[in-house]
Amino acid sequence: MDPVVGLTLRAALALLLLVAAVHKLRDPGTFRATLGDYRLLPDAVVPAAAGLVIGVELAIATALLVLPAPGLRAAALLLATYAVAIAVNLARGRRHIDCGCGGPAARQPISGRLVARNVLLAAAACAGLAPVDPRPLVWVDALTVVAAAAALATLYATLDRMLADAPALGRVRGLA
Amino acid sequence: MIQALLISNAVLWVVVLALAATVLALVRQLGVLYERVAPAGALMVSAGPAVGDVAPLVRAETLAGPPRELGGPRADGRSTLLFFLSPTCPVCKELLPAVRSVAHREGAWLEVVLASDGPRAEHEAFVQRQHLEDFAYVLSAPLGVTHQVGKLPYAVLLDGAGVVRAKGLVNTREHLESLFEAMERGVASLQEYFDRPEHRIGGAEP
Repeated sequence: MDPVVGLTLRAALALLLLVAAVHKLRDPGTFRATLGDYRLLPDAVVPAAAGLVIGVELAIATALLVLPAPGLRAAALLLATYAVAIAVNLARGRRHIDCGCGGPAARQPISGRLVARNVLLAAAACAGLAPVDPRPLVWVDALTVVAAAAALATLYATLDRMLADAPALGRVRGLA
Repeated sequence: MIQALLISNAVLWVVVLALAATVLALVRQLGVLYERVAPAGALMVSAGPAVGDVAPLVRAETLAGPPRELGGPRADGRSTLLFFLSPTCPVCKELLPAVRSVAHREGAWLEVVLASDGPRAEHEAFVQRQHLEDFAYVLSAPLGVTHQVGKLPYAVLLDGAGVVRAKGLVNTREHLESLFEAMERGVASLQEYFDRPEHRIGGAEP
């Protein structure tokens, strides 16, 4: 694998986790309520766990930039954990709860598509662990990494928005 | 040659980023359109006493005082909003501020009655936690059965004569407001309003 591919992947994942943590930090009350709604932890530890999740997201975002292999493993583990948390609640029939993915502005109920998305993201993190063929990096590589990470982040935001709008689209279709 | 490819690569990245940003902006605008277009009305379930019928009289236990009768003409001529909820339903909890503001704003002609059933202690704790002491709170399984309440939160609007004027599943503040709108306009539900030929979206259908 060319080093640029791995770098782009790590930069994009770091950006994803950073944005996720910032959303949660901007409205910690809502995130605590969302985490409580998942009903995976005893009520007493939810506030502490909410703080821990935000801390872990920030730590992994940093690790992805400085410690490639452990950062990618931790990111894959975290994303897979989210997928399991959503899947468990889907299995319990608690489909109405908010995902808590995109902050309070982009509320969306949990769904199978969100499980698939997180599994894909975890798989992408694992793919980043493939051995790298080293080569000297030049300035164009910096352009590629920065621009590709920014483009991926924008596309991700677009897809996220489309997933969040899917129920509304269904209602409009039902009206016609 | 290499120089030309490098320039071309840089220009392409600029264009790709601009395109991605444009697509994101478009999708966000679509989201706003969905919000505007989608009907925001309480979903009416056809079971239970129909709109326009007199609701059967049901004697219900109250949480705080003596049993009271719901349905039938009221001595003070006010309307009644029966709001069916449960302490374990998260959407009900989210709607409580809206219910509170309705009770406050429309208090002159409307009494809001919270209705539920189940063990008393759970409801007492719920009332205390959510500060619902100012509301009439009744516990009655027959009341829910009479109005065929399947999903929560559910609301039934009775006028002063005890006639059902609007009812439906209420998931948002807009749904709740739509019940009053339905009462004012004399239609049973938003669905019925849209079904009338003069209001049909996209012209007449066969």
